[in-house]
Amino acid sequence: MRVFNRIVVILLLVGLITLGAYTVVYSFELFGYQLSDLSALLNGFTGGVEGFISDVEDGNLPILTIALLAAIALLGLILLLMEFKPRRPRRVRMQRGTYVTRDVVKDEVTSAAEETPNVLGSSTTVDAKRRPGAKVKLRADVRRGQDTKAIKSDLRERVQQHLARTGVPLGRLKLKLVESDPRQTKTRVQ
Amino acid sequence: MTNGILELARAAGEAALATEGVHSLGTGRYAEAATYEGTEKFTGVVVKPDELEIHIVANYPLARSIPDLARLIRERVAAESGGRRTLVVVEDIEVANEGL
Repeated sequence: MRVFNRIVVILLLVGLITLGAYTVVYSFELFGYQLSDLSALLNGFTGGVEGFISDVEDGNLPILTIALLAAIALLGLILLLMEFKPRRPRRVRMQRGTYVTRDVVKDEVTSAAEETPNVLGSSTTVDAKRRPGAKVKLRADVRRGQDTKAIKSDLRERVQQHLARTGVPLGRLKLKLVESDPRQTKTRVQ
Repeated sequence: MTNGILELARAAGEAALATEGVHSLGTGRYAEAATYEGTEKFTGVVVKPDELEIHIVANYPLARSIPDLARLIRERVAAESGGRRTLVVVEDIEVANEGL
């Protein structure tokens, strides 16, 4: 939602700057623009709005406009609900009164992953859940032609065991194995 | 039991540091974790009216699980917390370089 809020603020500021620039240009009659032209321009705009409103009142809107308005209303509702949703915590809750940063969980997962035979490298994303536990996405590089199913199961087991040993509750573990060229991965020879 | 919040923070920080498995006190990840009083501050412990937040960096490899470490810290700090609820935040892990 932060991105959305930022977009809204940027659009609002761009609008204000444009409005300010128009006001200055028309007020000081710069570049041949006259203040009297502005009222004609505004009349055109208000006329358009009035026409639209009377079309709404008469129920004369084209189906495309109705669909667009419905989509905007739906988008507004979704964004409103998303705004009400509490923020995801920054730290991973372990138990009552104990927190661990996502970087610590990430280091632990990476260390477990890279100790797994046939894993050449890995990248990990950790999200904190609202409940105790971390949501982990792990992408591991393996050589081409290897038994990915067996590696995946071994990797899952090692990560789960490692986190259980350190006491980090694992909420969800998503694994993705990518066949890579060993010359381009972190661990070249194993 | 200590009176000033800075003294309390210091005492709690020292108690936490004395716990086996604690490498150092953390500085805060997203905002500075410190207690301020007058012109002084103590980093690593945040004293709130009803809560004491202790930020630590744990030693790696971990001698015990993180919840166990947090429990030990809580036990050590209990005498200094002035009845506040103690939160332990593990900010990082530091690889021990003994024998290297």
